[in-house]
Amino acid sequence: MSDVDELETRLEALTEADFQRGLEVFRSKLKEAEAAFLNACVHCGLCAESCHYYRMDPVLENIPAAKLETIAAVFKRHFTTMGKVAPGLVGARSMDKDMARAWVDAVFGRCSLCGRCSLNCTVGILLPRLFRAARAALGAMGLTPPDLQATVDTALKHGNNMAITREDWVETVQWIEEELQMETGDPEARLPLDKHGAKILFTVNPREPKFFPLSLQASAKVFWAAKEDWTLTADHGWDLTNYGLFNCKDEEAGLITQNLVDAMARLGCETLVIGECGHGFASARWEGEEWLKQGFPFKVMSILELMDEYLRDGRIKVDPAKHPKKVTLHDPCNLVRHGGICEAQRRVLRASAADFVEMTPNREHNFCCGGGGGQLAMGRYKARRLNSGGMKAQQIRDTAAEVVVTPCHNCVDQLGELNKEYKLKVQIKTVAEIVADALVP
Amino acid sequence: MNPLLAGVMLATIWCAGALVVLYMRTKAFGVRQLHSRPAGDARAGVRYAFTQGMAPQAKESVRMNPLSYLAGMLYHTGIFAGLALLGLKLSGLGTPRVLGIVALLGATGGIALLGKRMFKAHLRGISCPDDFVSNLLATGFAALAGITCFLPSFASLWLIETIALLIYAPLGKIRHCLFFFPTRYHFGAFFGRRGVLPPTA
Ligand code: SF4
Ligand code: SF4
Repeated sequence: MSDVDELETRLEALTEADFQRGLEVFRSKLKEAEAAFLNACVHCGLCAESCHYYRMDPVLENIPAAKLETIAAVFKRHFTTMGKVAPGLVGARSMDKDMARAWVDAVFGRCSLCGRCSLNCTVGILLPRLFRAARAALGAMGLTPPDLQATVDTALKHGNNMAITREDWVETVQWIEEELQMETGDPEARLPLDKHGAKILFTVNPREPKFFPLSLQASAKVFWAAKEDWTLTADHGWDLTNYGLFNCKDEEAGLITQNLVDAMARLGCETLVIGECGHGFASARWEGEEWLKQGFPFKVMSILELMDEYLRDGRIKVDPAKHPKKVTLHDPCNLVRHGGICEAQRRVLRASAADFVEMTPNREHNFCCGGGGGQLAMGRYKARRLNSGGMKAQQIRDTAAEVVVTPCHNCVDQLGELNKEYKLKVQIKTVAEIVADALVP
Repeated sequence: MNPLLAGVMLATIWCAGALVVLYMRTKAFGVRQLHSRPAGDARAGVRYAFTQGMAPQAKESVRMNPLSYLAGMLYHTGIFAGLALLGLKLSGLGTPRVLGIVALLGATGGIALLGKRMFKAHLRGISCPDDFVSNLLATGFAALAGITCFLPSFASLWLIETIALLIYAPLGKIRHCLFFFPTRYHFGAFFGRRGVLPPTA
């Protein structure tokens, strides 16, 4: 059965008990902030153009406020007096099959949880917080799109979201180490595995060993140049991704986070360094401790911050002339707007590339590439994902850049697809790849 | 005491009381305990949210919809002028015409926004009857406040309208007069704590 059919079948089979369970989970995700948000929308519609879905397909359903209203209508009906007394007046709706279907379409099918609408909301509603509560409720009703759930299940089962075996991972690391030794001409250049007491535990997106080994090699080369005391781990805890951020089942997200915590404890490292990945950074830096309901006994930082420090402290030297091509930067939403890592990558790129141009808008105002929010894992919405990415394609085209740099492997994937779809004819690279190529002794 | 003025007083008490109850119900949802280490200053984010964060340069949505923004600003200024006039009236201090003009201008902003809601399909699509009732009550309040400054015989109608507005305010979307503040606060605290706002560049 296809994913689409499976979800439809599940929707048709929903019972009153399912609705109740969904509502309970929804209610449990709301704190006073979210309760205020649900009372605050003035239906001004000014958020419409902030959303890349609406920009590329200006239909009512793509307006952030319309997505929000789908959620708020149910909140009003079940949790407010006016929604019970005069539902027609205030637009309250009971949770039923139609509303469950509308929720799925709004929060999984038309939203990448990018948060651009929050910045542009007249009132300041953090819409993704409400959409995440709705995704959690849908999950409790068995309505998480199966392919998204499968990504989480794979991570829970195998310790990484691509089911890479320990043997394959270790072999890949060893092979990249040989490549690094050849590239640097240094037989001592290492990709250390399970080095106890190393200062840094470095984590990567499984796409790197699987599809982009040069990206991992580039990070390793930067560590080598900086003479960093670092390690990877052979066992669970090397994968930085956490699609629990997208299925919004906090318990599952917490279990995946625990892999990182356990690896840090096992190896006794000081700092957990998150490779180039937006949602992986947001998960480890901002959400992981909330999912586990306790602070980490170690520091979490992005490799971007680390490379920025290396340059500032003179631990690595780069020559921008090695990158004469025009380079632009895509800001991953979870790293920048939701992650607070904004300037480090810019300083690094300005130092490493001769012709760096900004997209417009940029930083916290940047448009999502369309691949966020778990969209890359939800095949049923592929056409919408590629269409919504048209906004990003236009931004790239406007820069006339030949190289698009993005510190996120999910964004790399989406940008790669946009490159083909919109015939952009650009190269797509990570920041570490740019730095590694620009290194000088 | 003039029964209409007494009615306004009672409606004000209802409105304030109901808003307090709404706020308490929101507070009852509880505070989210945060464990991650802040990267920025939540308070700086909140300050920004209530100041530069509301300015057109901070919001593409405002820059793309300047007329709606202007109408909204005018509308809210007019409502505040109407409230000031109400305060002056209740205190027996008269109703200055300059405030009346501001209130009337505000009402034109309200009418413009009502027209936009009625005639723009997408805005109609995200609206419910409450949006129209709320607009009519608030616009009527500002308009009658302004008219009363020039034609005192409209005072009774204005006070009746005021009673209706105050009774309805906590029941519909006018409650945003309260929820605007916690929403903006949480917006600023969230982005401030994460070091996103105030912006660095
Ligand atoms: S979070 Fe992003 S994708 Fe979702 S509604 Fe807002 S702007 Fe659109
Ligand atoms: S901008 Fe904010 S208040 Fe206005 S419709 Fe959109 S979500 Fe609602």
